[in-house]
Amino acid sequence: MKPENMKELEYNSILEQDILDAMRKPHPIYWLALFICASFFVLGMITWVIQMLKGMGIAGINNPVGWGVYITDFVFWVGIAHSGTLISAVLFLFRAKFRNVFNRSAEAMTVFAVMTAGLFPLIHLGRSWLFYWLFPYPNQRQLWVNFQSPLVWDVFAVSTYFTISAIFWYVGMVPDLAIIRRFTSGIRKKIYSFFSLGWTGSLKQWRHYTRLYMFLAAFATPLVISVHSVVSWDFAMSIIPGWHTTIFAPYFVAGAIFSGTAMVLTLIIPMRKIFRMEKYITVDHFDKISKILLFTSLIVAYSYVVEFALAFYGGHKFEESHFLYRLLGDYRYLYWLMVLCNVILPFTLFVGKLRRNIPYLFVLSLFVNVGMWLERFVIIVSSLAKDFDPYNWGIYIPRWPEVFITLGSFGMFFTFFLIFTKVLPILSLTEIKEEAAE
Amino acid sequence: MDRRNFLKILGITSSTAMLSSCGVDKANEKIIPYVIPPDEEVYPGKPLYVSTTCTECPANCGLQVKVNEKLYHEQRSLYPTKLEGIPNHPINRGGLCARGQAGLFRLYHPERIKRPMVRDEQGNWLIITWSEVVTRIQDELQKTRRLGKINTYLSNHTNGTISQLKNQFCQEYGFERLPDFELFSHANIKKANQLVFNKQVIPQYRIAKTDFLLSLGADILETFVSPVEHTYHFSIAKKNQHFRWYHLEPHVSLTGVQADHRIVIYPESEIIFLSYLIQTLFRESHQKRNLPFKLLRSIPTYSLEETAQQTGIYQQDLQKLVGELSKAENPLIISGGISTAHAYGLEVAVLTALLQWILGITSEVVNFINARNYENIGTFLDINNLLHRLDQNEIGVFFLSKCDPAGQLPVDWQFLEKLKKASFSIGLADCLNATVRACNMILPLSHTLESWGDAQPFDGLHSIFQPAIEPQYDSKTEGDILLSLLNNNSEFSLYYKDYLFNNLKSRFGETNTSKLLQNGFIRTAVPESELSINLNQVYQFLKNFRIPQVKRTELLVFAPSIRGYDGRSTDLVLLNEIPDPLTTISYGAWLSVSEETATRMSLKDGDEVEVRIADERTKLPVKKQKLLPENVNLVQYGVVRLLSGSYDKRSGELFWFIKDIILSKTGNHVKLPVLSGSMDENGRGILPHVNEHAHEKEGKPWYPEHEHENYRWGMAIDLESCIGCNACSAACYVENNIPIVGRKEHLLGREMSWIRIQPYVQDNESIEFVPMMCQHCDNAPCEPVCPVYAAYHNPEGLNVQVYNRCVGTRYCANNCPYKARRFNWFDHRLPEPLDKMYNPDISIRDRGIMEKCTFCIQRIRAAKDKAKDDNRLVQEGEVIPACAQTCPTKAITFGNLEDKNSKAYKLAHSEQAYRALEELGTKPAVNYLGKKREHYEA
Amino acid sequence: MKNQYRFDEKHQFLEKLENLIKDGVSSKKIITYTPYPVHEVEHILKVKASPLRFFTLIGALAGLLFGFLFTIWASLDWPIIRGGKPIVALPAFIIIAFELTVLFGGVISFIGYLLLSRLPDFSKIQNPEEYGNQFVIQIQDGETR
Repeated sequence: MKPENMKELEYNSILEQDILDAMRKPHPIYWLALFICASFFVLGMITWVIQMLKGMGIAGINNPVGWGVYITDFVFWVGIAHSGTLISAVLFLFRAKFRNVFNRSAEAMTVFAVMTAGLFPLIHLGRSWLFYWLFPYPNQRQLWVNFQSPLVWDVFAVSTYFTISAIFWYVGMVPDLAIIRRFTSGIRKKIYSFFSLGWTGSLKQWRHYTRLYMFLAAFATPLVISVHSVVSWDFAMSIIPGWHTTIFAPYFVAGAIFSGTAMVLTLIIPMRKIFRMEKYITVDHFDKISKILLFTSLIVAYSYVVEFALAFYGGHKFEESHFLYRLLGDYRYLYWLMVLCNVILPFTLFVGKLRRNIPYLFVLSLFVNVGMWLERFVIIVSSLAKDFDPYNWGIYIPRWPEVFITLGSFGMFFTFFLIFTKVLPILSLTEIKEEAAE
Repeated sequence: MDRRNFLKILGITSSTAMLSSCGVDKANEKIIPYVIPPDEEVYPGKPLYVSTTCTECPANCGLQVKVNEKLYHEQRSLYPTKLEGIPNHPINRGGLCARGQAGLFRLYHPERIKRPMVRDEQGNWLIITWSEVVTRIQDELQKTRRLGKINTYLSNHTNGTISQLKNQFCQEYGFERLPDFELFSHANIKKANQLVFNKQVIPQYRIAKTDFLLSLGADILETFVSPVEHTYHFSIAKKNQHFRWYHLEPHVSLTGVQADHRIVIYPESEIIFLSYLIQTLFRESHQKRNLPFKLLRSIPTYSLEETAQQTGIYQQDLQKLVGELSKAENPLIISGGISTAHAYGLEVAVLTALLQWILGITSEVVNFINARNYENIGTFLDINNLLHRLDQNEIGVFFLSKCDPAGQLPVDWQFLEKLKKASFSIGLADCLNATVRACNMILPLSHTLESWGDAQPFDGLHSIFQPAIEPQYDSKTEGDILLSLLNNNSEFSLYYKDYLFNNLKSRFGETNTSKLLQNGFIRTAVPESELSINLNQVYQFLKNFRIPQVKRTELLVFAPSIRGYDGRSTDLVLLNEIPDPLTTISYGAWLSVSEETATRMSLKDGDEVEVRIADERTKLPVKKQKLLPENVNLVQYGVVRLLSGSYDKRSGELFWFIKDIILSKTGNHVKLPVLSGSMDENGRGILPHVNEHAHEKEGKPWYPEHEHENYRWGMAIDLESCIGCNACSAACYVENNIPIVGRKEHLLGREMSWIRIQPYVQDNESIEFVPMMCQHCDNAPCEPVCPVYAAYHNPEGLNVQVYNRCVGTRYCANNCPYKARRFNWFDHRLPEPLDKMYNPDISIRDRGIMEKCTFCIQRIRAAKDKAKDDNRLVQEGEVIPACAQTCPTKAITFGNLEDKNSKAYKLAHSEQAYRALEELGTKPAVNYLGKKREHYEA
Repeated sequence: MKNQYRFDEKHQFLEKLENLIKDGVSSKKIITYTPYPVHEVEHILKVKASPLRFFTLIGALAGLLFGFLFTIWASLDWPIIRGGKPIVALPAFIIIAFELTVLFGGVISFIGYLLLSRLPDFSKIQNPEEYGNQFVIQIQDGETR
């Protein structure tokens, strides 16, 4: 990263200036983008309020498909969050240095994605205003929650994930905020001072810090596995064919990392261009990240094959007929599009030149995002649409509230992310400096 | 009016005596209801029961009305909230069909006529008072007298005291009392019985006593004459192992698929079949009575091959039928409905009567002594006559009471235009209908549940109408209107109620009248008479026997609707919310076409076709209906208006067939609310199968069985008895305040029925109906997944849904393999005044809450409270959920499975018992009893 | 000896530090400020391992115990039958306990960190001390740790 002959001090100063440049007064296009995203966010919120006032019925969910786009969005956003943690925490534990240019943005992505995801269990509730009943708090009725329910596991898992990710992200940023503090003045300086907690970089601060960082990374790592496993058990703990399978935990976790990595690419490639970070985030970095993408795509592809094998090898008539429905039934176009996006296209990453072709990676990451969203949709909806009793079979077509709220969730996520790029350092300054010194 | 006064008028007859079996209420020894019952008798939570009679169809089943005291619009008053059958009533034995259950929707109908109205010169409606009504009618009568016109009085099926009063009125005022108007007049049956037995009546068909039932076309389980009675009898009959039922029809009906052997017969070829049958019986000497030779000779002879060819019946089927018929001890033949509603219908009815005669008709099975009261009912000959006279401007003042010829008569008969030619038409009805809207004056009638009256459903049975609520609007009973006219508006010296009581007392005496009020009905003796055949008349008829030219054309068949009867019940919204059992279509009109037609014209469900009949055209969406023969296209009365009508000039019977229709696609598509996803069960474990999946024993369970202290509530549903009539569904809707969601929601599958009838086609031969509701599984998949404990298992084995805890995650519904759970997508509320019928014992659910069948926990609760007061446990028979109570065949048995002597326990452990989707290990508390009689292999 | 030494390069800084220690300056009097963590400093100054791990351990154990005890107690407090499964459903409770282990472990570690490093330091929030990208050795008069 750092050119061989450049002195460390010079490199660090250039690094700091580059990051600060990114945080300067925004270009009008930034305001336009922020406005659009914020509008979608507000539109989504208004739609949600209307849904609460009028009833869930304005959405397209029905009998038998009681879960649709909202749960798809929930799983989608939680999945996106996981990749950030993978890059921050897991790659840290593996001492993969290439993570350093990604991890601040990736962690930010995680925190915002979990926040967005956390809204969906509320949005899909029939009586959203009573959401707090899902938390175990002492109450006059002496009622606790049903700890056997996967939805309660979700509450604990997602809350834990959000808390730990937020702490991890914040802790990582404290030294960087101290750097930013140095270059600001007035109110901004006071704010950065406050949030950097009076950081000086003393030995005492650093030696506990490094331990804390490592412990948090160590805690966050099992979260990557467990949280999405818990989310997948929303389905696996059910009895309906297509959901009731033990493969879901690893399948979903791999899928989460897959979709999250794709979202990292989607975010960072434009960010790199816009903020002129090319010398920090290089083609080699993308090469390595796309290997993660390829690897997880292979796991996902394998999972598709295993699902089939389970159905047909097992000979269970409900499973068999369900999988035929997935391939050939009402949602077959979505299913095959999903296979294209998640298996066939990422396969091209075996070619080294394509892994290093940044525009190609960007386009591919968009396809993967679409494909992974479709995967959740196909799993959720096709299993509910045709289950045991033929009398109950039906289909599901999303309606305008689902579309607007989904757009709203993207609006919310990108609004936060855009604000992040202007208010907080998008690269992990301290870690890059540390890496450059070696 | 407050409670006290109302109860004074009501004249308490039954109160809680109906609930428990503690005998006659001493308070009712006097007839004049003296009693303001002590306040302990009626209070919130303790309902009142009133015995009356149902008038949704002419069968007049016994009705028990549950009246609750509740708060409505800040006032406490008494409101009927549920209808049941009277338990020991000779017609319905405690059962009540879906139309009967929907009776409250008529009582509280938003389109009830509220005040008398008359049209002014511009044609606008003016509200007038009742005394003005009398004055105006007198004026009109004077006018018509001067002009020399004829005044006529037309009503629907009427008998009892009111019929007497009408006669009196017509005599005094010089009205011609026209024969009663009923679309289903059964004219051919009456005429045939007249020809053969000299009795122009419809007999009582006592199916319970027969061991061989042959029905041609008659939809005995749906609308034919007295469907609930027939259904109950059928449930008794099939207990006999030797009972066999053959049903022949040219289309497909609910009755047909219930029969042991449903045989499709070409339309109008029934007389070939009957002729063959008669001749064969004689040839093989199986007849029990002989016929003179010349008579026999007038009946045409056909060979087996010819018969098979002309009727479309397989030879082996014919042979089998003849064989079994010959061996029957007490055979019963019923022809009616569609098989007598064509050009040769009279021949069919006559031959049926003959066939019954030669097979040894007995009053055991065909009871002419207690004949149905169809004497006053007219035919289409009378209608035609009336229309002719209207056209000739002969009619003066015209009363139309409780009938809707404008809505029911064929479009091309132009009744509305002709009605305008009457000098002054007066419509009497409780709800607005097409006829009444076209009259010059509208008089609101009190609904049956608001009125006094009596009826005579069949000879020897007398039933009472008693009010269960005081009239909600400014309406009167027909009797009161006629009396006020008779008394010329003078100080109402006589209420109809007094007139009625005088009449009843003079006919039956004080004791019997008291019994009538208490029980709702009494039986009187009818003189026995020997049935004899009028050979000469028969011979004269047979001499001119017409033999049909059986030509295969594209037919449009109008069939009665179990939901709408002849169309009169289709304006009750509950009967649109509940689907038609054979197609599962709920709202809207449709044309049923055969699968062959659909393939030929490339039609999918919902594609619109134009039906052309001579000059009439109409557009309808199609539904592919299984089991419908090729070239037969089916619509239901009430769902589609009769387009063109022909009738038999001999008897006046309406033809239900229209021949030579042309179907063409319009290219439009209409979204049909079809509630069933698929009717192919594919051996998935809902229906009983002889192969492995149905009776798979699960492995040893991981967790110990539930322990139940005193009660474990369970059900046994006899699929053999279930005819798919949807009465249980209707009862459940009314009992549990289930929201009515409407067509748009049905298109999304969001119907709210807690119990529903699921039809499955079996072997392309017949349709099985499975009532499906919450199975109250021991290992319910819905319970562990609710995050807030809104769904859990109570110690008595019920799967309980706590409405105010539910946050609406819908995971429970996703996990239910039976999809028995229904989610409230919106805040559906019945509009005023229908909301008066809400059951106060049940909460009304808001949006976002999941609901489902609770085994009528409110009834279980009430029974347990009562038992607790008596310091004992709940006994067998004390708790009966709404669905089980109303079922005409008593297919649903509910009980305590902890009690080894209970009927439910015994049935649940019987040989044919199985559970739906048993292999999933849910351990339901609902046991189904599978069909044990084999089905016919074609 | 000066009170403060500033260096632009890490190796210079480390050399000086070693020399100071060799010269007998008490390691307790030396404070270093670096732009990023430099592990060699801890070796040179012979600093003990950070006690943060105790916070982490206690937090994690607390979470684990609380997870099981609370869920078991809450289930037994009002034993509601759900689907025939046992009231004390350990497989389900393991998941809750696991999540709480991570949650409590992480949060208590963070709190422990704040305590151990004496952050937030309100005086420094008001008046931040900036050392830029330089490596600084400061010798206190009194004891610093």
